[in-house]
Amino acid sequence: MGERRTVTDYLLYAWGALVFAFLFLPILVIMVYSFNEGRLLVSFTEFGFGSFRAIVDRPAVRSAVMVSIQTGAIAAVFATLLGTLAGVAMARRPGKWVLWFVGLLLLVSVTPEIVDAVALLPWLVFLGQDLGLSMFDNGVVRLVVGHSLFSTAVVSYIVRARLVGLDAQLEEASADLYASPLTTFRRVTLPLAMPAVLAGGLLAFTLSLDNTIISAFVQVSGTTPWPVYVLSALRSGLRPEIAAVSTLMLLLTLVSLMLVWLVLRRAGDSSTQIARTMTGT
Amino acid sequence: MRAPRFLLAIPAWAWLAAFFVLPVATVVYFSFGYKPGIFGTHATDVLSLDRYREALSPTFFTTFTNTLRVGVLGTLLCLVIGIPMAYWMAVKVSPGKRAFLLALVIVPFWTNFLVRTIGWQVILAPEGWLSGMLQALGLRENPLAILYTRSAVLLGVVYNYLPLMILPLFVAFDRVGPAMREASKDLGANRWRTFTRVTLPMARPGIIAGILLVFIPLMGDYITATVLGGARGNMVGQLVASQFQAAQNWALGSAMAVLLIIVIAVTVLVGAAIAYVVTWPLSRARRLRLADLEGLPEKVR
Repeated sequence: MGERRTVTDYLLYAWGALVFAFLFLPILVIMVYSFNEGRLLVSFTEFGFGSFRAIVDRPAVRSAVMVSIQTGAIAAVFATLLGTLAGVAMARRPGKWVLWFVGLLLLVSVTPEIVDAVALLPWLVFLGQDLGLSMFDNGVVRLVVGHSLFSTAVVSYIVRARLVGLDAQLEEASADLYASPLTTFRRVTLPLAMPAVLAGGLLAFTLSLDNTIISAFVQVSGTTPWPVYVLSALRSGLRPEIAAVSTLMLLLTLVSLMLVWLVLRRAGDSSTQIARTMTGT
Repeated sequence: MRAPRFLLAIPAWAWLAAFFVLPVATVVYFSFGYKPGIFGTHATDVLSLDRYREALSPTFFTTFTNTLRVGVLGTLLCLVIGIPMAYWMAVKVSPGKRAFLLALVIVPFWTNFLVRTIGWQVILAPEGWLSGMLQALGLRENPLAILYTRSAVLLGVVYNYLPLMILPLFVAFDRVGPAMREASKDLGANRWRTFTRVTLPMARPGIIAGILLVFIPLMGDYITATVLGGARGNMVGQLVASQFQAAQNWALGSAMAVLLIIVIAVTVLVGAAIAYVVTWPLSRARRLRLADLEGLPEKVR
């Protein structure tokens, strides 16, 4: 690094700056346009906070945001529970079964979301109406089911990756000291896996807030989540409230991202490991 | 009795079986059926491959080829943009700043997909500020006419999936480490040679991961094409959705969904084969065997 800078270095630097400008341009535009007092999002008329007031005033907007946050929380808890157990099993009880299970997780993560969406719609209708399991007619249940699939796979990967990197001797020691398997799990394995569990849970939450395609298919009228509300507003004309809510949601996402980052940092991960964890790769 | 080793994975397995495997299997089953009359969505008393034939008829076939074109072109563009970017972040930036830049790449990735895309709609709109600015500067006479074209979809997908390319590439370049590059330089390679012969080949897993992470979701894209593409930028994802929603023809929609998965899988396999055929002779030609060094003086060996 101590060498003198070459032309290539400057070109690379410029390239990086350009790519960042490209990545942030639409986000900045949305943030600026959330202060648009005009009736339509696209044409900026004058500066003001009217759109933020409209979030509180318009029940449809408020309810959509509430549904999203509620579903996000439940889906995150659910995916974290299932994913953590599966991740622990994969890391600590390896065997031939892991190959099959990872195959299933891979299948879940590579299937285009639109295929999940069109598959879930008739399936939930079948469960709810033909089999009479009326819980599947509930809008929030349907959304949680749809949102939990990909997240479960992501949490499993993250928890597994963390535990595989840690020595199993602590758990063996615990067993040698006559702790029951349950106590070992609760007092040793779980605390070891905690950073990954928390990171996975927050990722599951943001994934659920973001989910549009599956939600659009499985939602029931009355429990429309925020992205689906935006999608339908796309046809009837986008209003500045959409940008205002997005700006607030962006802040929420930033806070949860920072939390994930801090949790992983404290657990001693390098920034590369954090990047891998946060994208599920 | 000892518990089975997969005991703790049973809940996740059962959940995914009930809400992923079974529903998707049903879709495959529906795809062999047909639409009975105006009010029915699907029937499976007579099974045939007719829906697949219908899905590949000229009306829909162009959408498949269009999607494949956007998919391949978009992935290549992400790769071309992403390689210098990731290399810069992993090699040229100091470790302290690196974490911050990495966070900057992740922020758009976790911002609502739909909202980011709407941001582009605002930018590209003929009555929007970019169009106005270009006209005011005299660069364009007419309002911008990109929105609702295939170019807008291509721009949108490159934008939306670019972080998924940059991150694995960054991880791969980071893993090569400075020691390898220094060794290459000590052995007399210049920067370009070091990059093409050492860094890039060693980053291969990251390149493959990036291509797959971008290409697979891109092919199934529904939102970008809906927001930016209009009628002219149709993709298979929208086709599938419209069969299930507007047309209420679940059999045909299912066949299209299955075809989409087949197209993705085949393209990935063909791409892998091409990459292998191209790189194999190259790596063979470059291979140095110890036997070739026999004649050289002891010191060089």
